[in-house]
Amino acid sequence: MRRTRDPSVETSGDEAGATCPYCESTNTVREHPKGPSLCRSMHYCHGCEQPFEKFE
Amino acid sequence: MSANTSSDRDATPCAYTDYREGAAAEDLPATGEDATGLEADIWDALYGIEDPEMPISIVDLGLIYGVYLEDDTVTVDMTLTYSGCPARDMLTEEVKAEVAAVDGVDDTDLRLVWSPEWTVEMVTERGEQALQEFGLSV
Repeated sequence: MRRTRDPSVETSGDEAGATCPYCESTNTVREHPKGPSLCRSMHYCHGCEQPFEKFE
Repeated sequence: MSANTSSDRDATPCAYTDYREGAAAEDLPATGEDATGLEADIWDALYGIEDPEMPISIVDLGLIYGVYLEDDTVTVDMTLTYSGCPARDMLTEEVKAEVAAVDGVDDTDLRLVWSPEWTVEMVTERGEQALQEFGLSV
């Protein structure tokens, strides 16, 4: 049984909001640690109400 | 694991692999800004290669750790963002082909290196801008 978290889900932007690439707001939430590729996580910006991805 | 092996401080994950430290991370990535002549042509070719998932040059992404020219033989040191990168073959083959196609290059040698490991810090300023424009937070 796996007792520790899979290290691959340790991406940033969970505690502190990532900077939105469209409006530069940091009022964002991470919706998922992984995106369409291994090096991208999925976020949502409350500033401009747009989803965006963060490069990890 | 026996007490004997766990006390071995020099133990490495694989006994058959030669582990070596790469250059200091702050000196990387290599971007070839001072390159001239044939070396500059090789850098131009490398700049022309884009990541398959994002519109960013692999040089600006920070994957190239060094280009060494000896006579007509070029050695390129490069890394990947993840050791399990699915684009591994695609990128290494493209780098080899593009460098070999440069006028004056006879032989191409590509060394895939994993030290120091790639981080987002390796992305150049121009690369960050390209990703930002693409809609990716860096």
